Amino acid sequence: MGLDALFEAFLAVLNGGSLLFLMAGVLLGLTFGVIPGLGGTTALALLIPVTYTLEPLDAMYLAGGVMGATSFGGSISAILLNTPGTAPNAATTFDGYPLARQGKAGLAIGASATASALGGLIGLFTLLLFIPVAREVVLSFGSSEFFLLTILGLAAIAVSVKGKLLRGLIAACIGLLLAFTGANQFTGETRFTGGMNYLWDGIPLVPALTGLFAISQMIELALKGGSVADEETRSAAENMKITGVGEGILAVFKHWPVLLRGSLIGTVIGAIPGLGGTVASFLSYSSTAQTAKDRDTFGKGNIKGVIAPEAANNAKDGGSLIPTVAFGIPGSAETAVFLGILVLHGIEPGPQILLQNEREIYGLIVALTVSAIGASVLGLIFARFLVLITRIDVNIVVPVVVTLSLTGVYVLEGRMADVAVATIIGIFGYLMIRFDYPRLTLVIAFVLGEIAERSYHQVRLISDGNVLEYMLGRPISVILIVATIVTFFLPAMRKIPWRRLTGSAS
Amino acid sequence: MKKILVTGATAIALTVGGAAQAEFPTDDNITFVIPYSPGGGFDTIVRQFAPALETAMGTTVVPENISGAGGARGGQAVHRSDPDGYTIGIYNIPGLTVNEVTGRDQGFKLDEVTWIANLAVATYGLAVAVDSGINSVEDLCAMGQPTKLSDTGATSTASVTTRITFGILECDIVDVTGYAGSNDAMIAVISGEVNATIKPISSLAKYLDGSGTGDLKLILTLTEDEAVTGVPSATDIGHPELAKFTLNRVIGGPPGMTTEVVAAIEEGLRAASEDPSVTSWADGAGISLAFMGAAATASMMDDLSSFYEQYKDLAATAE
Repeated sequence: MGLDALFEAFLAVLNGGSLLFLMAGVLLGLTFGVIPGLGGTTALALLIPVTYTLEPLDAMYLAGGVMGATSFGGSISAILLNTPGTAPNAATTFDGYPLARQGKAGLAIGASATASALGGLIGLFTLLLFIPVAREVVLSFGSSEFFLLTILGLAAIAVSVKGKLLRGLIAACIGLLLAFTGANQFTGETRFTGGMNYLWDGIPLVPALTGLFAISQMIELALKGGSVADEETRSAAENMKITGVGEGILAVFKHWPVLLRGSLIGTVIGAIPGLGGTVASFLSYSSTAQTAKDRDTFGKGNIKGVIAPEAANNAKDGGSLIPTVAFGIPGSAETAVFLGILVLHGIEPGPQILLQNEREIYGLIVALTVSAIGASVLGLIFARFLVLITRIDVNIVVPVVVTLSLTGVYVLEGRMADVAVATIIGIFGYLMIRFDYPRLTLVIAFVLGEIAERSYHQVRLISDGNVLEYMLGRPISVILIVATIVTFFLPAMRKIPWRRLTGSAS
Repeated sequence: MKKILVTGATAIALTVGGAAQAEFPTDDNITFVIPYSPGGGFDTIVRQFAPALETAMGTTVVPENISGAGGARGGQAVHRSDPDGYTIGIYNIPGLTVNEVTGRDQGFKLDEVTWIANLAVATYGLAVAVDSGINSVEDLCAMGQPTKLSDTGATSTASVTTRITFGILECDIVDVTGYAGSNDAMIAVISGEVNATIKPISSLAKYLDGSGTGDLKLILTLTEDEAVTGVPSATDIGHPELAKFTLNRVIGGPPGMTTEVVAAIEEGLRAASEDPSVTSWADGAGISLAFMGAAATASMMDDLSSFYEQYKDLAATAE
């Protein structure tokens, strides 16, 4: 058990057949990652029926390949088109896209690939460290901690929209409204459904994200015309060779504290079921941007703004396996599908999953490791060609992206209504861009709203109504409350002229 | 000329109509509708049965996931299709039954469905943390404050079962719903967030002594007879009606299917349920296969409707 098993799993993957499944997974993951709106969950959900005929271990390789590769794939579209390929890549657009417009897409992709690979490795390494105490970790995160984490996430958004606080709050409220659509978990009553069966389960995530990120950005690009890269930088970049990839790799090593912090945030958030990569990468981005000395350059093409979210985004896969090895429960949508694959093979996930299904679990860990590195290497090799996308006329880019995204939305559940939702939200998203409302605020509120509501009601019932008293009795809850307060007041505290204060004191 | 041929062919088809039906299902694939996304319990059982059903019936069986609206959308799709046997579906029972008696419009009526078979039955147990000091239902209900239980959604079968069971036992409870899955709900008992939970015994087994980690212990099984050694059954505590609560995997088709077609599919499913590939999978995954034919399934569905009808007020109230 332990390292021996892991070593054996690494040797096992070198078998020709296994490696083939893994590489197929990586390519598939990259493709689904690059296509805006579609992510790892979509790819895995579509793969489930295929894995039925595979050996459980081969299914793990395929699934792990997909999981490890999507987030890097998604960063490519985030950087080149300002359209996150998957929701967690949304934070990467803040600095990645400005870099692309400055003709430095190679730098951004190089940094993203390296941060993704290293973040993934750090996440898995942390998972291995956590395995002995995974049970305690999971048991110490209850409804109270879930609720406070969502509040911390919402607080981080509130302070991160510089100078647009009101617009940010309005967008967040719309996000909450959308999140509360459908059946109330507590009363079973339906809300805001307008009598439509379709809305019973709430507004589906994939169509909503596709609309908000992909469709809206494509409307914006189509109306603007030209190509993604600025005319001036374009001609300047044409004179230069498309380089900067190497520089991007070095940037990650130069800013290693950013990488490390992002990876740790990713692992911890990944371990909490339901929060997922969007929150992890966003918290990593905002904490880096808030504490950096050069914080004014964030949003204008700071490479640290690419490293932070991408490291967190890949590290969360390792983290999301912590609840899985402890109790057989999924830490993310992707691990949920992965557990589904096990069930399909007659393996019932439970608290003894690591003892009984060591082969499959270690197989998945190995697949994730190889995939994170493999996807990044592929990305680095092809970076110079991918960058050319920013020079293609948008009249070609827009129809291709819109068709791929909407087809993907339809294929997932086979519902035309999903396509309609993506389109309507897309138009709404364009209006948000046009009137300068932050879309990410809406997304985070949309993702967190349901968990926040649900866990709040749980705490209320569990604590017999004494919510605050109950929370203050739990150490991790107290830490989270303090973190939330600090997040809120950090920007204000910075404005206090500390040096003068301490100077006058002495 | 062509027209005459077509008319002739139609006439022949009409006269040998009986024979053609007996040949079911040779003309087409059978679409097996799953009203949930891939990877869940309903999806898994259908995909496990599909190959064995193919062998038994000699035609291709295509599982199709039509998820949404708490399983109602898949049910509607089956309801709308032709009753020729080429479209069948799996139903969330008693989830849909409870929805129906509490007045939710699901787009189709359960008593119009042609019931074909029941593949599996799960029975429930009531579990508490092993170190809780609670050893019986009386202990649980005599804590001086309402008992807290954990569940997924307020409309989930386990939550409805919980509310009705404790209503019958006249024991005050708070059902804390909103846990992401039944595993999460059981972990809430282990971590002490809540006092107890009612879940399928096969799911609880992972946390029980002997078969699992030993974090939980059973204090009651909702069964007629003793299901787990040393644990009282519903009959033992004087409420045999609690054994009515089960979780079923029921197969049905559109209204108006002929008895021949129903019998053919029923036989196919029966053969599949005895297939070694299916039985060995069920053993590993903790599923209790319990095949029931069309007639028995239809009467069970009627029974369930009237059973839940009695308790519809308890079923409808949350919190």
